Parts: sequence; C-alpha cells; structure tokens
Amino acid sequence: MENMIEVISLEKIFGKKQALNNVSFQVKKGETFGFLGPSGSGKTTTIKILTGQMRPTAGTAKVFGEPVSKLNTPEYRKRFGVVTDNSGLYARLTIYDNLKLYADLYGTSLQRIDEALEAVNLGSEKKTQVAKLSKGMTQRVLLARTLLHKPELLFLDEPTSALDPANSKHIHNGLKELNRQGTTIFLTTHDMEEADHLCSQVAFLNKGVVQLLDEPKQLKKQYREEVIGLELKDGRELELPLQSSSAEEIQQYISREMVERIYTKEPTLGDIFVEVTGRELV
Amino acid sequence: MTFSVKRFMAIFQKDLKDLYRNMYVSSTALMPLIFAVIYGRMDNVTIEMHLFVISMSLALVGTFLQCAMIAEEKEKNTLRGLMLSPATLTEILSGKSAVTILITVIVTGISMFIMDFSFSGRIGLMAGIVLSLIFFIALGTWMGLITRSVLEASVYILPVMFIFGMGNMFIMFAEQYAFLQILEYTPGLQLQEIVELEDAGAGFGELWKPFAIIGAWAAAMVVLAAVTFKKRMMD
Repeated sequence: MENMIEVISLEKIFGKKQALNNVSFQVKKGETFGFLGPSGSGKTTTIKILTGQMRPTAGTAKVFGEPVSKLNTPEYRKRFGVVTDNSGLYARLTIYDNLKLYADLYGTSLQRIDEALEAVNLGSEKKTQVAKLSKGMTQRVLLARTLLHKPELLFLDEPTSALDPANSKHIHNGLKELNRQGTTIFLTTHDMEEADHLCSQVAFLNKGVVQLLDEPKQLKKQYREEVIGLELKDGRELELPLQSSSAEEIQQYISREMVERIYTKEPTLGDIFVEVTGRELV
Repeated sequence: MTFSVKRFMAIFQKDLKDLYRNMYVSSTALMPLIFAVIYGRMDNVTIEMHLFVISMSLALVGTFLQCAMIAEEKEKNTLRGLMLSPATLTEILSGKSAVTILITVIVTGISMFIMDFSFSGRIGLMAGIVLSLIFFIALGTWMGLITRSVLEASVYILPVMFIFGMGNMFIMFAEQYAFLQILEYTPGLQLQEIVELEDAGAGFGELWKPFAIIGAWAAAMVVLAAVTFKKRMMD
C-alpha cells in the first residue's frame, strides 16, 4: 500500500535540547495513525516538520512521496489539512465568514460550509460571532474549517482536548466517517481511549524517541496478563490462568451462582505506555 | 509563481470586513482627518501643511493599519492558518495591502478635500505619493511581522509617526539640531522637493532624484518585509 507519510531517522535539535531522536515511521494511505505521548515529547514538532513549518536537523520526511520542503505550493497545500492547538479564528467575524474565507482559499463550494458544520454539530450556529464561542465550539469550528476541502491527509494535534465527552464522540464519529471515505489521518493525542477508538496504528513517543509502534489490538494482546478475573458475590476476587484447566473451576462458581462478574485483564494503551516508558501521559 | 485573484479577493474581503468591526485600529484613520479640519480652517493653508497631512495619512494609516492587521493575525494565531492554506505569500500580502491602500487613498483624498487642495496638474506629486505608499505599506508589513501584538504595534508606530509622518515639521529645527538633517531624505520631505521642483516648472527629467530616494526606501523595505515574512513561515 502507498505511503502517505514516510519518516526516516528524523532528528530535531533546539539549542542543546534534542526534541526528536532518530524517529522513523510510515503512515499508509487510508490509515489513522496515532502519535501518542505526553506534553513535550515531540508530537507537535513532528507535525510542524511534516507540514513544512519547521526544518528538521537531520533525517528524511516525505509526505505524498515528496520531501516536505516541496509542500509549500498551493497544489500540495490543497491536499492536506492541519488543526493544531494554536490554530486561530477571526474573533470579530461569524463562523460562516471564517469558513467562507477558507472555502474561497481552497476553491471549494460554499455548500461545503454547511456540510462541514453539520459534521461537527454546529449547523445551527453559522451566524454566531466567533468571539462568543466556548473553547470547545472554537475547536469544532477549526475542525470544520479543515474538513471543508476534504483533504487527502489530515494532521490533527489534540483535536478533542477541549471538548466534552458528547462532542468528542460526535467528532470521533465524523473522523471515522472521513477515514472511511479515504482520508488518511495523522493524530497526536495523549487521550489513549481516543487513540484506541480511532487508530489503526499507534506510535509511543517519549522524550523524542519512538519507543513502540504497532496496532492497538496487537499491543494489547502482547501486553495483556494471561488471566481471567472473577468477582464473586461475597466480595472476593479471583484470578485464574487463561487456560482450559481453569474452565472447570469457573463453571463450578457459575453453577453455584456465586459469580458477580467475569473479566479478562487486558491493559489499556495508557497502561502499556506507562509500562514501556515509565511515564504517565499528561 | 501563481497568483489567484479569487484567493487575493478572499483575503481582501475578509480584512475589510474585519477592519470595519475593529474600532481600535480603524479609528486611527480619523487622525489625519482631524488635522485636515484644523489646518483647513486657517486663513492661509500652505503647501507644507498639505504635505504634512499627506505624510501623516501615509504613516499613520498606511503603516499602522498594515502593521496592526498583521500583528493581530500573529497574536491570534490566524496568520499560520493562512500560511498553511493554498494562499501564497504574494496573495496574502497583496490582499492585506489592498485594504490598506484603499483606506489610505480614501483618507488622503478626504483630507485634501477638507483642506481644499487639488491634485489637478500635480502628476509628479501623485506619482511620488504612490511610490511612498509602497514604502509605508512595506514598513507596516515588516513592523507587523516583528511585533507580537496590536498593543506592541501601537508603541512601535510612534517613532515611525515622528520620523516619517512629522518629518516635514521637525525639519524646521534642523539648523539647531544637525542630526535632524537626516529627515531631508525621508519620503515626506522628498514629496516636498517634488512639489517645489514642479512649482518651479521642472520637467520629469529633473525630478529623478527625489523619486530615486523614495524608490530606494520602497525597494529596501519591500525586500526586508519579504525576507522577514519568509523567515516567519518557518518556526
């Protein structure tokens, strides 16, 4: 499958601080790739390099098969979209006026404004002045702005960090739909549930180093504890090996109607991150 | 290099709409009009007074408006959005400059109307104003790029206003303070030179020096603004 992003031995040094150290990964067409790490781990630096806003110190970064230095043309910029945590809107203008500017810049029809606003659950707010929006609504307008031109590749830097659970879910569904339609998504987040829900592949970035890269399902399989947990009605909790030999014992508890709950001990991506890096995701 | 009229117009319309709602910045455009009303009520309005108000319009409206628009785009993180869109450097800067040019021309025109000044037959002066406007807008662009907020831009505009906007007034003290002689090379004083030469019946061939000086200011500032903008595109 075609690579949308190809990063080989990428390095970025700010003064004496090494922000990225020998980072390598590929993002295939149609994939939702999660770049996970705590604040200051190098996620935003990577997005800046991949979108041509920053030059790497060493290594290769290619987007659409071309070096990122070639991304500074209108033709390339029409093919990708970016939402970062410091993207801004024109506060004195309405949501519609903000989106109309970008619809004109990208050469898309004005009808797309309504469609993009519907996708972020803001269809009825288009005449509202941006200055009157909450942080979460502003974030949704920024997402709508990025969806206007249906980019082939979408860079999202913490897209739901300011949103409540209901709106996060709405955005997640919208992103899944966009991905189904063929958009490749490069997502940075420290929300492991979000990554688990959306990403087909994740990379753990810690202090500028990619420490793990795999499918969430594979990671959970690799790091899970091979036990079955039983919570009994008398309050006791038992852990039995995930083997056929445990079946008889479990059956006995069930037949005596002693079982409150049965569960497997599958780690979350957050648990795996802590185990691999020794750091919490904050 | 591509230039899209649609993208240029999109930026122009957005900035015009935004400026209309920005009372803090747009009210600055009233200053030359206030001076025009004051001077216009005098019995004897000299050409120096006209040129003072013209220079004031160019510095205060041309430079400050452009500077404040760009500084605010940086302050609110909207400039990065434009830079990541398909709009090119030329489209972004020309779209913004078109708004500044429009308002500067309107303010200068109304000011001169209030002062009962006619541009009729003053082709040299008009050409000089157009060339100066390029300098003042490029200066505003550069200042907008190096300042971090509209508030900072409001402070930075003060020396520009004194040197370039009020140079025609301060030159009177050049005999007492020798360092003020440098003001003779400012675009405002060169406009005065053009008017004096025109009034003395000089042809275009004799006007080359003031035009060359204003042209040099404009060229240097355009290059400085373009280089700074390109640098700002990268973190």
